[in-house]
Amino acid sequence: MKKFILLIMIIFTTQFSFAQVKIINGTVTDLGGIPLPSANIIIKGTTRGTDSDFDGKFSIEAKVGETLMISYIGYETQSILIGTETIIKIQLKESSTTNLKEVIVTSLGIKKTRRSLTYAAQEIKAEELTRVRDVNIVNTIAGKVAGVTVTKSAGGTGGSTKVIIRGNSSVSNNQPLYVIDGIPMLNSGSGQPNDTFGSLAGGNKDGGDVISLINPDDYDGMTVLKGAAASVLYGSQGANGVILLSSKKGKIGKVNVTASSVTTFETAAYLPEFQTDYIASPGADESWGAAQKTNNHVKDFFETAVTQTTSLGYSMASENSSTAFSFANVSASGIIPENNLKKNNFGIRQTSKIFKDKLTFAANANYTSQTIINKPVNGFYFNPLTGVYLMPRGNDFNYYKDNFEIFDPTRNLMAQNWMTNRDIMQNPYWAINRNKSEDENHFFNGAIALTYKATDWLSIASRYSYNRITSSFDKKIYATTQGTLSHPNGRYINEDSFSAQRYADLIATINTKINENFSFNANIGTSITNTLINQRTSLDSGISAGLQYANWFTLHNFNNNNGNYQTIDSKKEIQSVFAATTFGYKDRLFLDLAGRNDWSSTLVNSDNIGFFYPSVGLTGILTEMVEMPEFINFGKVRATFAQVGNDIYPFITSQTYYYNTGISDPRPNAGPKTGTTLKPELKSEYEFGTEWRMFNNRLNFEISYYSSETKNQYLQVLAPVGNREGVIYYGFNAGNIENKGIEAIIKGGIIRNEKFSWDTTINFSKNKNRVNGIPTELGGRLNLTEAGVNSYRYALIEGRPFGVIEGINFKKDDQGRILLNDDGTFQRTDFEEVGNSNPDFMLGFSNTFKLGSFTANVLLDGRFGGDVMSLTQAQNDAFGVSKASGDARNAGGVAINGVRASDGVPVTSVDAQSYYTQVGGRAGISGEYVYDATNVSVREVSIGYNINPKLFPFIEKASVSLIARNLFFIYKDAPFDPNIALSTGEGLQGVDIYGLPSTRSIGLNLNITF
Amino acid sequence: MKLYNIKKTTIIISLLIIVSCTDNFEEINTNPNGITPELFEQDFNHIKGGFAPMFNNIQVLTPEWVYQLQQGLNCDIWSGYMATPTPFAGGVNNTTYSLVDGWNGFIWDYAYRNVMFNAYDIANKTKDKYDQFYALSLILKVEGMHRVTDTFGPIIYSDFGSQASIIEYDSQEDVYNLMFEELDFAVAELTTRYNAGEESTFVSTDLSGYNGDYKAWVKFANTLRLRLAMRIVKVNPVLAKLEAEKAIAHEFGVMTVNEDLFKIVSPVYTNPIATISNSWLDIRMSADMESILRGYEDPRIASYFNISSQFLGEYKGVRTGIELIAKADHQDFSGIGEVVSSNEIVLMTTAEAYFLRAEGALRGWNMGGIAQDFYEQGIEMSFNQRGVSGAAAYKVDNVKTPIAYVDPNFSVNNSAPVNNVTIAWNDSDSNEIKLQKIITQKWIGGFPEGQEAWSDYRRTGYPKLFPVLVNYSGGTITTQFGPRRINFVQSERTNNPGGVASGVSKLGGPDNGGTRIWWDTTGPNF
Repeated sequence: MKKFILLIMIIFTTQFSFAQVKIINGTVTDLGGIPLPSANIIIKGTTRGTDSDFDGKFSIEAKVGETLMISYIGYETQSILIGTETIIKIQLKESSTTNLKEVIVTSLGIKKTRRSLTYAAQEIKAEELTRVRDVNIVNTIAGKVAGVTVTKSAGGTGGSTKVIIRGNSSVSNNQPLYVIDGIPMLNSGSGQPNDTFGSLAGGNKDGGDVISLINPDDYDGMTVLKGAAASVLYGSQGANGVILLSSKKGKIGKVNVTASSVTTFETAAYLPEFQTDYIASPGADESWGAAQKTNNHVKDFFETAVTQTTSLGYSMASENSSTAFSFANVSASGIIPENNLKKNNFGIRQTSKIFKDKLTFAANANYTSQTIINKPVNGFYFNPLTGVYLMPRGNDFNYYKDNFEIFDPTRNLMAQNWMTNRDIMQNPYWAINRNKSEDENHFFNGAIALTYKATDWLSIASRYSYNRITSSFDKKIYATTQGTLSHPNGRYINEDSFSAQRYADLIATINTKINENFSFNANIGTSITNTLINQRTSLDSGISAGLQYANWFTLHNFNNNNGNYQTIDSKKEIQSVFAATTFGYKDRLFLDLAGRNDWSSTLVNSDNIGFFYPSVGLTGILTEMVEMPEFINFGKVRATFAQVGNDIYPFITSQTYYYNTGISDPRPNAGPKTGTTLKPELKSEYEFGTEWRMFNNRLNFEISYYSSETKNQYLQVLAPVGNREGVIYYGFNAGNIENKGIEAIIKGGIIRNEKFSWDTTINFSKNKNRVNGIPTELGGRLNLTEAGVNSYRYALIEGRPFGVIEGINFKKDDQGRILLNDDGTFQRTDFEEVGNSNPDFMLGFSNTFKLGSFTANVLLDGRFGGDVMSLTQAQNDAFGVSKASGDARNAGGVAINGVRASDGVPVTSVDAQSYYTQVGGRAGISGEYVYDATNVSVREVSIGYNINPKLFPFIEKASVSLIARNLFFIYKDAPFDPNIALSTGEGLQGVDIYGLPSTRSIGLNLNITF
Repeated sequence: MKLYNIKKTTIIISLLIIVSCTDNFEEINTNPNGITPELFEQDFNHIKGGFAPMFNNIQVLTPEWVYQLQQGLNCDIWSGYMATPTPFAGGVNNTTYSLVDGWNGFIWDYAYRNVMFNAYDIANKTKDKYDQFYALSLILKVEGMHRVTDTFGPIIYSDFGSQASIIEYDSQEDVYNLMFEELDFAVAELTTRYNAGEESTFVSTDLSGYNGDYKAWVKFANTLRLRLAMRIVKVNPVLAKLEAEKAIAHEFGVMTVNEDLFKIVSPVYTNPIATISNSWLDIRMSADMESILRGYEDPRIASYFNISSQFLGEYKGVRTGIELIAKADHQDFSGIGEVVSSNEIVLMTTAEAYFLRAEGALRGWNMGGIAQDFYEQGIEMSFNQRGVSGAAAYKVDNVKTPIAYVDPNFSVNNSAPVNNVTIAWNDSDSNEIKLQKIITQKWIGGFPEGQEAWSDYRRTGYPKLFPVLVNYSGGTITTQFGPRRINFVQSERTNNPGGVASGVSKLGGPDNGGTRIWWDTTGPNF
């Protein structure tokens, strides 16, 4: 690596040694004298250029008679003819309201002026993505975009993240589409857990996703297109909103070498609370025995995790070509011992203009490899946390740590050493060391694009991209692992998945003025997307079948073939034609009309394989049309209506029989109910918005209202047992989900002067949704997560908001008293609604302070409303290890307002053990374990310092900052972090079942630009 | 001009992409890991494919934990065969009469998903077309589903496959009548084909020990009819006698030798009880088995159970329905023995056929012999089946009786013996004592299949079992009589509430474990 940097430096110095003539030193500021860092300075007609430093200062070599062009986003570009002076001061004027040329990247990479947009789009600058770095880029957008809910998985570092834009609108998938440089990216993962108990196939594991693999340093910021109108050009894939990423491009005239190093330290925050007063009876699994002081061993189990990210970037550009390389390495350990991650990213991007700039050629390639050892799981199986939390108190945890295996002379092997033989709680150190798992992901993304500029007003572009993801999961389960999880000789699980997407398009862009007053833009194109998701070979020696020789982990050692499968999650092709047009009138009134027709292979054999959907939008710049007070710089109103179609699951309409894991005969996995046909789902959305800028752009705000309805949802639900079609799932169109909401963004430059500035942004969003039209045959409900044997179920219920959490409650009399039977047992209800997993509204409050060379950022993130259930707490209670169970024993019982059902005798206190063994536990009265999910956290804090580059001759810019993520909660009700979900799929929301505790991270970020 | 050409090309290319490629949509949309319906029909696999899951799920063979919930933690325990040392759910569970919905749903769900559905599917594909398959599927359906109606009472039977929003439950009486009719059809069809010398089309599909032999299947069907007939003897003695005599009178008759017994021979799986007992230590010998087998010095004990690893040289059972504090307290009592370490799962023994005939003869039915002979042949058949000698001396022993139960760790669980009969047949015994002896021997012989033993226990009250000491049923299940059924399941309450309501009304009592099902009357045995 050092050699590489050295090489770059040589190139750098060589370049400059050729340069001649005089050196001009300059300063770029705004009209108020505030320095503008990273302003672009270029000598017109050459490739020479530079950037201003943090103080707005720059130096450049130039000849007399040359022209300096100085530009800065949001400001008008200035040109200065070089005379004899060697020191120049440049004051840039903020782009005035009449000349707001701010450009935003929209669908398909099409650039539009922000003012002409008819829908809501919100940008995040590159520095926001890397300032308080997270291994997963999307975790850094939490609280920064109105209307976007970001929920991390409990999979720890390298885990996936669930992103919901404007509420859940689909039963099957609510994640947005990620688009890199206008080309959709395949964001598939190898699956999400959906079992309340935990998967026997190696534990409830997060199969990851692709967006978590990319390198945040490769991108120049992000644009979030929230509504259907914004994404109509992506078709079905964009129905849940689109997140656009633009690659960093070389800046003209400048060699740019950047290096950054980030080290963060994470510690477990918000652990459950445990009692230290009682031990387990001899031999018992539950700690309901005698009073005896014990140590709380739980804290010592967790380690301080270290994440080290090193990234290097190199770019250079001339007017005709640009080149950029990047490399990043992440090396991280987890808070659970023996959990670690290694990730390497490589990127290259090249653009060239040929044939007198008529033809532009661009190509880029990115490759990422990631290996995670012992990716944390949740649920009861294969999870070391259950053993840590539930260990019968009175045992010496350290003894079992140091002696997790002991020699078994009868088998002549090292056997697990633990005080109990219980499927849900193995020796945690055995689980870590002898049930070890390895996840590996490789992601390749390659794209080429050709753009031909035929005339001033017409250009034609064609692009092709190929995404390829391979994932493997390997778990070696040693002999003497608990018998529910493994064969006596051990068990071997090995899965390999392959996913790929091929995308090609051809788009003609027309950009013309019809006459003085009318302008016309159009994009007409066609695209083809072919995806294959999770073509998987899955090997599992199984529990009853097993391995022939103990601990020999290879396919040939399997006793039989019953656990081995080849499967494919999805395979489809979508072909499309589309057109989007914008008519502009006097740069103040814009009308958007767009339409798209998709043909999807998934609809083959149904009435129509193709489906059309339109959008229309209108924007008016009020400040151009009406006389406004002086202090208003800009005002606009916009309205839009759009539809997005969505195809159905693949394979449904072309029926085949196949083996499904756990089902012993070949069956169709899913199919339509007899007498029904399938059609695409359709999302319709209205949106109204207004945007204002005032007081010299010191105060900006934007408000949007939207109302969407997604009809004819393709639902795939577990078919009733013994359905006559013999399918496991029914696929049908039914149900619609309504979302209505408001988003507001307020930005203020509260204080701005030469020495000190304070800028703030508030993102507010509120969403209400409702599920309708669930067929009565299904009892007006769809279970997204089945209850299994536990007291948690997650469902869509007719007339209720999306994502109802169901559980068991106490049965009560009309006075609200808990009913008890004569034998002291509680009467319980059936499953009923106990909460909802979605927040009512969200608030992000971001602040940036600048004082001299110091910059500080503080981001507060709040979610209000919604509920979560903690089965962790319930199980800890039932096992008598929780603080609550200890406190209740100390208090001589649990006070209740109860009554004996048979004779009406009041019951005011129940023995702690009797209470918690019935009410607690995974199958207990779970309604007692529902908490308000409202929380406000200090999400990000950073304090940065810009090092004076004069101290280091060959450094152009350098900064160092102290960063912190998830510092603490200002308010929280739940006994765990409600911003973490067990799954980033549709199931297992709003519940914690031994998920990894959330972490607080603090670290140091060093950035250098040469 | 140039511009015009480009435009034209664009349009043509666009059209070409769209027009030319949708032809392969069918291929793209076909899962390459699946088998198409046409290919599936080769070798009648589309019909045969449904049989394996029926065989494998009458008792769930895999995964083991499902067997545990489907049968292991209900009738295997309530029959008095086995007990668990594990205080599941804090000891408040099926074993202490607090019926756990999350467990018991598997009984229903697996039966309907695997047995009932495939029977329905095969019927649709074979009825009036390949009636030999249809006949065999009916026998398996009755074998699988009588267990379900005996567990719940009213169940979905005639209405299965209905597209109505409410799937009605049939009363248990209707279910029994339908099952007799289905056996009529199956027996007649297979008898005709056998007598015509037709070659069996069932050889490769047959996972029982019968190797596709139609005659053996008919004998099994006749014995099954005899079992069902006896089941309803208290509620409809006339029909019971009629059906029982019909079974005996059939030209192939009922099972008579041990080669006739009905078992699942799994090419892959061993009896799930082996794993549950040996590796999970979740199921042990019951106190009742210890009391009776040790009292009789029954040599079959060595096949049924292992010697306790805690009390060396001793068979030690666990009493059901006691206060369990730690699993470790009882987990090293006797596990289940070699009888479950096999890939052969016996669902109906030949011994049972003899004990059924003994009871029939006792009731004065024409069973082709006298009660004592059948009783003693039943004992011999069972010894023979287990490869155990000494039946001759055993069957005439009129001294030995069950012994008291002692829990070496917790004396509160101790009890004097309760099933106080000897082995030997004594003509001067009352019918009640004779019945107790027959059922006691049938109970021993039927081990470890707890479903039939629990039904016999409910019908006759024999063998007498140690009562639970802890009853968490909330007053719905009496300690004296134990659970009489299992309440309707969660999945049905959620997905088919109207159907459940129809079931409750046909049940004629509250939907809990204390309500007696149709054939389970409080009347006397005679």
